[in-house]
Amino acid sequence: MKTRQYSVKVFEIELTDEAKFIAFFEKNYQFFQNHLIVINGEENKQIQEYLNTKQLKHVFNLTLPKRGADRGTTTPIPPEPAVQKETTKPKEKIQTNLKVLDKLIRSGQELKIDGDLLLLNRVNSGGSIIIKGTLIITQIVDGSIRCDGNFMMLQASHKANIVFHGVEVDNKYLQDKLNRVELINNEIVITPALKETSWV
Amino acid sequence: MGIVIAVISGKGGVGKTTTTANIGLGIAQNGKKCVVVDFDIGQRNLDMLLGLENRVVYDMVHVMDEGIHTKQALIKSKMSPNLAFLAASQTKDKSVLDSYKIKKLINSLKKDFEYVILDAPAGIESGYEHTIEFADRAIIVVNPEVSSIRDSDRAIGILDSKSQRVKDGEEVEKYLIINRINPTMVQSGEMLGSSDILEILSIPLIGKIPEDKGIIDASNQGKPIILNETSAAGQAYKRVAARVCGEKVDFVDVETQSGGFMKKIKEMFT
Repeated sequence: MKTRQYSVKVFEIELTDEAKFIAFFEKNYQFFQNHLIVINGEENKQIQEYLNTKQLKHVFNLTLPKRGADRGTTTPIPPEPAVQKETTKPKEKIQTNLKVLDKLIRSGQELKIDGDLLLLNRVNSGGSIIIKGTLIITQIVDGSIRCDGNFMMLQASHKANIVFHGVEVDNKYLQDKLNRVELINNEIVITPALKETSWV
Repeated sequence: MGIVIAVISGKGGVGKTTTTANIGLGIAQNGKKCVVVDFDIGQRNLDMLLGLENRVVYDMVHVMDEGIHTKQALIKSKMSPNLAFLAASQTKDKSVLDSYKIKKLINSLKKDFEYVILDAPAGIESGYEHTIEFADRAIIVVNPEVSSIRDSDRAIGILDSKSQRVKDGEEVEKYLIINRINPTMVQSGEMLGSSDILEILSIPLIGKIPEDKGIIDASNQGKPIILNETSAAGQAYKRVAARVCGEKVDFVDVETQSGGFMKKIKEMFT
Protein backbone atom coordinates (compact mmCIF):
# COMPACT_ATOMS: atom_id res chain seq x y z
CA MET A 1 0.00 0.00 0.00
CA LYS A 2 1.25 3.45 -0.88
CA THR A 3 0.30 6.40 1.24
CA ARG A 4 1.09 10.03 1.19
CA GLN A 5 0.35 12.75 3.66
CA TYR A 6 -0.57 16.25 2.55
CA SER A 7 -1.00 19.44 4.40
CA VAL A 8 -3.76 21.24 2.64
CA LYS A 9 -5.14 24.67 3.26
CA VAL A 10 -8.84 24.47 3.58
CA PHE A 11 -11.40 27.20 3.19
CA GLU A 12 -14.66 26.32 4.79
CA ILE A 13 -17.76 28.16 3.73
CA GLU A 14 -21.42 27.86 4.51
CA LEU A 15 -23.63 28.04 1.48
CA THR A 16 -26.73 30.13 1.99
CA ASP A 17 -27.07 32.49 -0.93
CA GLU A 18 -25.98 31.38 -4.38
CA ALA A 19 -25.59 34.82 -5.88
CA LYS A 20 -23.54 36.12 -2.93
CA PHE A 21 -21.33 33.06 -3.11
CA ILE A 22 -20.56 33.58 -6.78
CA ALA A 23 -20.05 37.28 -6.37
CA PHE A 24 -17.59 36.67 -3.56
CA PHE A 25 -15.60 34.08 -5.54
CA GLU A 26 -15.68 36.19 -8.67
CA LYS A 27 -13.84 38.82 -6.70
CA ASN A 28 -11.48 36.68 -4.66
CA TYR A 29 -11.02 33.34 -6.49
CA GLN A 30 -7.32 33.93 -6.93
CA PHE A 31 -6.78 33.69 -3.19
CA PHE A 32 -8.22 30.17 -3.13
CA GLN A 33 -6.27 28.55 -5.96
CA ASN A 34 -4.10 26.59 -3.51
CA HIS A 35 -6.94 25.88 -1.14
CA LEU A 36 -9.43 23.13 -0.82
CA ILE A 37 -12.86 24.62 -0.56
CA VAL A 38 -15.27 22.85 1.72
CA ILE A 39 -18.84 23.89 1.16
CA ASN A 40 -21.36 23.11 3.82
CA GLY A 41 -24.92 23.11 2.64
CA GLU A 42 -27.00 21.62 -0.11
CA GLU A 43 -25.12 20.35 -3.15
CA ASN A 44 -25.58 22.79 -5.90
CA LYS A 45 -24.88 22.07 -9.59
CA GLN A 46 -24.49 25.65 -10.63
CA ILE A 47 -21.84 26.33 -8.03
CA GLN A 48 -20.06 23.10 -8.84
CA GLU A 49 -19.85 24.13 -12.47
CA TYR A 50 -18.74 27.62 -11.56
CA LEU A 51 -15.92 26.34 -9.37
CA ASN A 52 -14.86 23.92 -12.12
CA THR A 53 -14.53 26.71 -14.61
CA LYS A 54 -12.33 28.60 -12.15
CA GLN A 55 -10.37 25.37 -11.55
CA LEU A 56 -10.95 25.48 -7.83
CA LYS A 57 -10.84 22.16 -5.98
CA HIS A 58 -13.84 21.66 -3.78
CA VAL A 59 -15.90 19.15 -1.83
CA PHE A 60 -19.35 19.31 -0.37
CA ASN A 61 -20.20 18.66 3.26
CA LEU A 62 -16.98 17.36 4.70
CA THR A 63 -16.45 17.24 8.43
CA LEU A 64 -12.88 18.09 9.16
CA PRO A 65 -10.97 16.99 12.25
CA LYS A 66 -10.25 20.16 14.19
CA ARG A 67 -6.98 20.31 16.03
CA GLY A 68 -6.22 22.97 18.64
CA ALA A 69 -8.04 26.22 18.78
CA ASP A 70 -7.14 27.83 15.50
CA ARG A 71 -3.90 26.23 14.47
CA GLY A 72 -3.20 23.45 11.98
CA THR A 73 -4.35 22.55 8.52
CA THR A 74 -8.00 23.18 9.11
CA THR A 75 -7.68 26.86 9.94
CA PRO A 76 -10.28 28.74 8.03
CA ILE A 77 -8.87 31.97 6.73
CA PRO A 78 -10.96 35.08 7.09
CA PRO A 79 -13.20 35.39 4.07
CA GLU A 80 -12.50 39.01 3.18
CA PRO A 81 -8.91 39.60 2.12
CA ALA A 82 -9.22 43.26 3.01
CA VAL A 83 -9.89 42.35 6.60
CA GLN A 84 -7.03 39.92 6.56
CA LYS A 85 -4.61 42.67 5.62
CA GLU A 86 -5.62 44.79 8.53
CA THR A 87 -5.38 42.07 11.09
CA THR A 88 -1.90 41.02 10.05
CA LYS A 89 -0.56 44.54 10.60
CA PRO A 90 1.75 44.60 13.62
CA LYS A 91 0.00 46.25 16.48
CA GLU A 92 1.55 49.09 18.52
CA LYS A 93 2.64 48.12 21.94
CA ILE A 94 0.18 49.83 24.19
CA GLN A 95 1.67 50.65 27.54
CA THR A 96 -0.41 51.24 30.60
CA ASN A 97 1.72 53.70 32.55
CA LEU A 98 0.75 56.62 30.33
CA LYS A 99 0.65 60.03 31.94
CA VAL A 100 -1.36 62.85 30.39
CA LEU A 101 -0.29 66.36 31.32
CA ASP A 102 -1.51 69.78 30.28
CA LYS A 103 1.27 71.85 31.74
CA LEU A 104 3.50 74.44 30.18
CA ILE A 105 7.11 73.40 30.67
CA ARG A 106 8.83 76.70 31.36
CA SER A 107 12.48 77.59 31.18
CA GLY A 108 14.39 75.89 33.96
CA GLN A 109 11.72 73.30 34.63
CA GLU A 110 12.64 69.67 34.18
CA LEU A 111 10.19 66.84 33.83
CA LYS A 112 11.54 63.37 34.55
CA ILE A 113 9.23 60.48 33.78
CA ASP A 114 9.82 56.74 33.72
CA GLY A 115 6.71 55.78 31.78
CA ASP A 116 4.99 57.30 28.76
CA LEU A 117 3.81 60.87 28.45
CA LEU A 118 1.23 62.72 26.44
CA LEU A 119 1.90 66.43 26.88
CA LEU A 120 -0.78 68.81 25.69
CA ASN A 121 1.21 72.00 26.09
CA ARG A 122 4.41 73.67 24.94
CA VAL A 123 7.97 73.04 26.03
CA ASN A 124 9.56 76.47 26.19
CA SER A 125 13.12 77.35 25.45
CA GLY A 126 15.22 76.25 28.42
CA GLY A 127 12.69 73.68 29.63
CA SER A 128 13.49 69.99 29.44
CA ILE A 129 11.86 66.59 29.43
CA ILE A 130 13.71 63.39 30.26
CA ILE A 131 11.62 60.33 29.61
CA LYS A 132 12.20 56.59 29.45
CA GLY A 133 9.00 55.75 27.63
CA THR A 134 7.14 56.94 24.58
CA LEU A 135 6.56 60.66 24.23
CA ILE A 136 3.86 62.59 22.41
CA ILE A 137 3.77 66.38 22.51
CA THR A 138 0.95 68.15 20.73
CA GLN A 139 2.37 71.65 20.75
CA ILE A 140 5.65 73.21 19.71
CA VAL A 141 8.86 72.18 21.42
CA ASP A 142 11.51 74.87 21.92
CA GLY A 143 13.33 73.16 24.78
CA SER A 144 15.30 70.00 25.14
CA ILE A 145 14.04 66.43 24.98
CA ARG A 146 15.75 63.21 26.06
CA CYS A 147 13.68 60.22 25.07
CA ASP A 148 14.47 56.50 25.27
CA GLY A 149 11.04 55.13 24.44
CA ASN A 150 9.59 53.23 21.51
CA PHE A 151 8.85 56.37 19.60
CA MET A 152 8.10 60.03 19.97
CA MET A 153 5.72 62.30 18.16
CA LEU A 154 6.45 65.98 18.26
CA GLN A 155 6.73 69.23 16.43
CA ALA A 156 10.00 71.01 17.12
CA SER A 157 11.28 74.46 16.35
CA HIS A 158 14.85 75.22 15.35
CA LYS A 159 15.58 76.06 18.99
CA ALA A 160 14.81 72.54 20.19
CA ASN A 161 17.48 70.08 21.17
CA ILE A 162 16.27 66.53 20.79
CA VAL A 163 18.14 63.42 21.76
CA PHE A 164 16.55 60.07 21.00
CA HIS A 165 18.26 56.97 22.43
CA GLY A 166 21.44 58.96 22.94
CA VAL A 167 21.56 60.29 19.39
CA GLU A 168 20.95 63.91 18.61
CA VAL A 169 18.14 64.34 16.12
CA ASP A 170 18.84 66.99 13.53
CA ASN A 171 15.85 69.25 13.93
CA LYS A 172 15.88 70.52 10.38
CA TYR A 173 13.87 67.36 9.68
CA LEU A 174 11.42 68.15 12.44
CA GLN A 175 10.06 71.56 11.64
CA ASP A 176 6.52 72.63 10.91
CA LYS A 177 4.79 69.30 11.16
CA LEU A 178 4.06 66.65 13.68
CA ASN A 179 6.75 64.04 13.27
CA ARG A 180 7.05 60.47 14.34
CA VAL A 181 10.57 59.58 15.40
CA GLU A 182 11.37 55.92 15.98
CA LEU A 183 14.27 53.54 16.06
CA ILE A 184 14.13 50.89 13.32
CA ASN A 185 17.11 48.53 12.97
CA ASN A 186 19.33 50.92 14.91
CA GLU A 187 18.48 53.77 12.60
CA ILE A 188 16.43 56.77 13.54
CA VAL A 189 13.49 57.05 11.18
CA ILE A 190 11.54 60.30 11.01
CA THR A 191 8.13 60.18 9.39
CA PRO A 192 6.08 63.34 9.14
CA ALA A 193 2.48 62.79 10.12
CA LEU A 194 0.61 63.02 6.85
CA LYS A 195 -2.75 64.11 7.99
CA GLU A 196 -3.70 66.97 10.26
CA THR A 197 -4.15 65.32 13.60
CA SER A 198 -6.97 66.49 15.77
CA TRP A 199 -6.37 65.92 19.43
CA VAL A 200 -9.86 66.39 20.69
CA MET B 1 -6.50 94.34 53.31
CA GLY B 2 -4.43 95.52 50.39
CA ILE B 3 -3.28 93.60 47.36
CA VAL B 4 0.41 92.79 47.06
CA ILE B 5 1.78 93.00 43.52
CA ALA B 6 5.34 91.98 42.69
CA VAL B 7 6.90 93.45 39.56
CA ILE B 8 9.32 90.86 38.21
CA SER B 9 11.24 90.10 35.05
CA GLY B 10 14.11 87.70 35.61
CA LYS B 11 16.45 89.64 33.36
CA GLY B 12 17.81 93.00 34.40
CA GLY B 13 17.40 96.22 32.51
CA VAL B 14 14.00 95.49 30.98
CA GLY B 15 12.22 98.26 32.87
CA LYS B 16 10.98 96.78 36.14
CA THR B 17 11.82 99.80 38.23
CA THR B 18 10.44 102.25 35.66
CA THR B 19 7.28 100.15 35.47
CA THR B 20 6.96 100.04 39.26
CA ALA B 21 7.35 103.80 39.56
CA ASN B 22 4.84 104.54 36.81
CA ILE B 23 2.21 102.00 37.84
CA GLY B 24 2.53 103.05 41.48
CA LEU B 25 1.95 106.67 40.58
CA GLY B 26 -0.80 105.73 38.15
CA ILE B 27 -2.68 103.77 40.83
CA ALA B 28 -2.31 106.72 43.22
CA GLN B 29 -3.64 109.08 40.55
CA ASN B 30 -6.65 106.78 40.25
CA GLY B 31 -7.43 107.64 43.85
CA LYS B 32 -6.21 104.45 45.50
CA LYS B 33 -3.77 104.39 48.35
CA CYS B 34 -0.59 102.83 47.08
CA VAL B 35 2.86 102.10 48.45
CA VAL B 36 5.86 101.15 46.33
CA VAL B 37 8.59 99.13 48.01
CA ASP B 38 12.07 98.72 46.61
CA PHE B 39 13.22 95.16 47.25
CA ASP B 40 16.48 95.57 45.38
CA ILE B 41 18.59 95.80 48.54
CA GLY B 42 22.09 97.03 47.82
CA GLN B 43 21.13 98.43 44.43
CA ARG B 44 18.25 100.72 45.05
CA ASN B 45 17.09 102.90 42.19
CA LEU B 46 13.40 103.43 42.69
CA ASP B 47 14.02 106.44 44.95
CA MET B 48 15.69 108.24 42.06
CA LEU B 49 12.96 107.46 39.54
CA LEU B 50 10.39 108.87 41.95
CA GLY B 51 12.51 111.92 42.67
CA LEU B 52 12.79 111.06 46.36
CA GLU B 53 16.47 110.27 46.76
CA ASN B 54 17.15 113.24 49.01
CA ARG B 55 14.36 112.31 51.37
CA VAL B 56 15.32 108.80 52.37
CA VAL B 57 16.04 108.70 56.09
CA TYR B 58 15.03 105.20 57.07
CA ASP B 59 14.83 102.18 54.79
CA MET B 60 13.16 98.79 55.04
CA VAL B 61 16.13 97.22 56.80
CA HIS B 62 15.76 99.80 59.56
CA VAL B 63 12.12 98.84 59.81
CA MET B 64 12.79 95.11 59.84
CA ASP B 65 15.85 95.00 62.08
CA GLU B 66 16.11 98.17 64.12
CA GLY B 67 12.62 98.70 65.39
CA ILE B 68 11.85 101.80 63.35
CA HIS B 69 8.13 102.16 62.85
CA THR B 70 6.89 101.65 59.30
CA LYS B 71 5.21 105.05 59.29
CA GLN B 72 8.54 106.72 60.06
CA ALA B 73 10.23 105.05 57.13
CA LEU B 74 7.48 105.67 54.58
CA ILE B 75 8.07 108.68 52.36
CA LYS B 76 5.08 110.57 50.98
CA SER B 77 5.40 111.52 47.36
CA LYS B 78 4.80 115.13 46.33
CA MET B 79 3.35 113.98 43.01
CA SER B 80 0.31 112.34 44.57
CA PRO B 81 -0.96 112.35 48.16
CA ASN B 82 -1.96 108.71 47.76
CA LEU B 83 1.54 107.49 46.94
CA ALA B 84 4.08 106.40 49.53
CA PHE B 85 7.51 104.91 49.11
CA LEU B 86 9.65 102.58 51.20
CA ALA B 87 13.31 102.54 50.23
CA ALA B 88 15.68 99.61 50.08
CA SER B 89 18.87 99.69 52.05
CA GLN B 90 21.84 100.69 49.97
CA THR B 91 24.52 99.63 52.44
CA LYS B 92 23.34 96.08 53.13
CA ASP B 93 22.86 93.18 50.73
CA LYS B 94 20.10 90.68 50.03
CA SER B 95 21.20 88.31 52.78
CA VAL B 96 19.48 90.51 55.39
CA LEU B 97 16.06 89.42 54.08
CA ASP B 98 14.21 86.70 55.88
CA SER B 99 10.71 85.34 55.37
CA TYR B 100 9.35 86.09 58.84
CA LYS B 101 10.45 89.76 58.80
CA ILE B 102 9.15 90.28 55.29
CA LYS B 103 5.80 88.81 56.15
CA LYS B 104 5.52 91.15 59.13
CA LEU B 105 6.48 94.18 57.02
CA ILE B 106 4.10 93.33 54.19
CA ASN B 107 1.23 92.64 56.55
CA SER B 108 1.67 96.03 58.20
CA LEU B 109 1.71 97.73 54.78
CA LYS B 110 -1.39 95.81 53.66
CA LYS B 111 -3.34 97.29 56.56
CA ASP B 112 -2.75 100.87 55.46
CA PHE B 113 -2.65 100.65 51.68
CA GLU B 114 -4.92 99.25 48.99
CA TYR B 115 -2.01 98.36 46.74
CA VAL B 116 1.47 97.30 47.79
CA ILE B 117 3.82 97.23 44.80
CA LEU B 118 7.13 95.42 45.21
CA ASP B 119 9.99 96.12 42.86
CA ALA B 120 11.87 92.85 42.56
CA PRO B 121 15.60 92.66 41.98
CA ALA B 122 16.90 91.16 38.75
CA GLY B 123 17.85 87.53 38.82
CA ILE B 124 16.21 84.55 40.49
CA GLU B 125 18.23 84.35 43.71
CA SER B 126 17.11 84.82 47.30
CA GLY B 127 16.23 88.50 46.82
CA TYR B 128 13.79 87.59 44.08
CA GLU B 129 12.36 84.65 46.00
CA HIS B 130 11.67 86.86 49.01
CA THR B 131 9.94 89.45 46.83
CA ILE B 132 7.51 86.96 45.34
CA GLU B 133 7.00 84.99 48.54
CA PHE B 134 3.99 86.94 49.79
CA ALA B 135 2.71 88.39 46.53
CA ASP B 136 -0.94 88.00 45.52
CA ARG B 137 -0.29 89.04 41.96
CA ALA B 138 2.73 89.41 39.76
CA ILE B 139 3.36 91.73 36.88
CA ILE B 140 5.96 90.32 34.56
CA VAL B 141 7.87 92.87 32.53
CA VAL B 142 9.31 91.54 29.31
CA ASN B 143 11.09 93.07 26.33
CA PRO B 144 10.37 91.69 22.87
CA GLU B 145 13.60 89.74 22.67
CA VAL B 146 14.39 86.07 23.21
CA SER B 147 16.70 86.42 26.21
CA SER B 148 14.20 88.50 28.14
CA ILE B 149 11.40 86.07 27.31
CA ARG B 150 13.36 83.05 28.44
CA ASP B 151 14.39 84.71 31.71
CA SER B 152 10.81 85.76 32.38
CA ASP B 153 9.69 82.23 31.67
CA ARG B 154 12.11 81.01 34.29
CA ALA B 155 10.97 83.66 36.75
CA ILE B 156 7.34 82.60 36.26
CA GLY B 157 8.35 78.99 36.84
CA ILE B 158 9.92 79.91 40.17
CA LEU B 159 6.93 82.05 41.08
CA ASP B 160 4.68 79.07 40.45
CA SER B 161 6.70 76.83 42.73
CA LYS B 162 7.99 79.03 45.52
CA SER B 163 5.40 81.62 46.44
CA GLN B 164 3.45 81.20 49.66
CA ARG B 165 0.14 81.45 47.80
CA VAL B 166 1.05 78.47 45.63
CA LYS B 167 2.16 76.52 48.69
CA ASP B 168 -1.28 77.21 50.20
CA GLY B 169 -2.87 75.70 47.11
CA GLU B 170 -3.91 79.00 45.54
CA GLU B 171 -2.58 80.69 42.47
CA VAL B 172 -0.66 83.89 41.99
CA GLU B 173 -2.39 85.97 39.31
CA LYS B 174 0.12 86.79 36.63
CA TYR B 175 -0.03 89.60 34.11
CA LEU B 176 2.32 90.51 31.34
CA ILE B 177 3.67 93.90 30.33
CA ILE B 178 5.53 94.01 27.06
CA ASN B 179 7.90 96.92 27.39
CA ARG B 180 10.04 98.78 24.85
CA ILE B 181 8.06 97.83 21.77
CA ASN B 182 9.49 99.42 18.68
CA PRO B 183 6.54 99.70 16.24
CA THR B 184 8.67 100.05 13.11
CA MET B 185 10.78 97.02 14.00
CA VAL B 186 7.69 94.94 14.76
CA GLN B 187 6.16 95.91 11.43
CA SER B 188 9.32 95.02 9.52
CA GLY B 189 9.43 91.68 11.32
CA GLU B 190 12.70 92.35 13.12
CA MET B 191 11.07 92.37 16.53
CA LEU B 192 8.92 89.67 18.04
CA GLY B 193 5.21 90.47 17.91
CA SER B 194 3.20 90.40 21.10
CA SER B 195 1.14 87.41 19.95
CA ASP B 196 4.30 85.29 19.80
CA ILE B 197 5.34 86.39 23.26
CA LEU B 198 1.90 85.69 24.68
CA GLU B 199 1.92 82.24 23.13
CA ILE B 200 5.27 81.39 24.70
CA LEU B 201 4.55 82.74 28.17
CA SER B 202 0.79 82.04 28.10
CA ILE B 203 -0.24 84.58 30.72
CA PRO B 204 -2.76 87.39 30.18
CA LEU B 205 -1.57 90.72 28.84
CA ILE B 206 -2.06 93.85 30.93
CA GLY B 207 -0.23 96.37 28.79
CA LYS B 208 2.02 97.10 25.87
CA ILE B 209 4.47 99.97 26.32
CA PRO B 210 6.13 101.45 23.25
CA GLU B 211 9.76 102.48 23.35
CA ASP B 212 10.08 106.12 24.29
CA LYS B 213 13.26 108.19 24.48
CA GLY B 214 11.51 110.47 26.97
CA ILE B 215 11.80 107.73 29.63
CA ILE B 216 15.53 108.33 30.06
CA ASP B 217 15.00 112.00 30.71
CA ALA B 218 12.03 111.27 32.95
CA SER B 219 14.22 108.93 35.04
CA ASN B 220 17.03 111.47 35.26
CA GLN B 221 14.61 114.14 36.41
CA GLY B 222 12.84 111.87 38.86
CA LYS B 223 9.47 112.50 37.20
CA PRO B 224 7.83 109.29 35.99
CA ILE B 225 6.80 109.37 32.32
CA ILE B 226 3.16 108.88 33.28
CA LEU B 227 3.09 112.59 34.20
CA ASN B 228 3.85 113.45 30.57
CA GLU B 229 0.50 113.80 28.79
CA THR B 230 2.03 113.68 25.30
CA SER B 231 4.21 110.61 25.73
CA ALA B 232 2.95 107.37 24.17
CA ALA B 233 4.68 105.34 26.88
CA GLY B 234 3.22 107.53 29.61
CA GLN B 235 -0.29 107.05 28.25
CA ALA B 236 0.31 103.32 27.98
CA TYR B 237 1.35 103.20 31.65
CA LYS B 238 -1.78 105.15 32.53
CA ARG B 239 -3.92 102.48 30.87
CA VAL B 240 -2.00 99.73 32.71
CA ALA B 241 -2.54 101.45 36.05
CA ALA B 242 -6.27 101.72 35.34
CA ARG B 243 -6.40 98.01 34.47
CA VAL B 244 -4.57 97.14 37.69
CA CYS B 245 -7.27 99.09 39.56
CA GLY B 246 -9.87 96.88 37.89
CA GLU B 247 -11.13 99.23 35.18
CA LYS B 248 -11.84 97.91 31.72
CA VAL B 249 -9.63 99.79 29.29
CA ASP B 250 -9.42 98.84 25.63
CA PHE B 251 -6.05 97.82 24.32
CA VAL B 252 -4.40 100.32 22.02
CA ASP B 253 -2.37 98.69 19.31
CA VAL B 254 0.96 100.38 19.93
CA GLU B 255 2.58 98.17 17.31
CA THR B 256 0.77 99.70 14.38
CA GLN B 257 0.83 103.28 15.57
CA SER B 258 2.34 105.73 13.13
CA GLY B 259 5.98 104.93 12.65
CA GLY B 260 7.30 108.46 12.92
CA PHE B 261 8.34 111.28 10.69
CA MET B 262 9.32 109.40 7.52
CA LYS B 263 6.08 107.48 7.46
CA LYS B 264 4.06 110.69 7.76
CA ILE B 265 5.97 112.16 4.81
CA LYS B 266 5.34 109.01 2.80
CA GLU B 267 1.65 109.22 3.59
CA MET B 268 1.56 112.83 2.37
CA PHE B 269 2.80 111.77 -1.05
CA THR B 270 0.62 108.72 -1.52
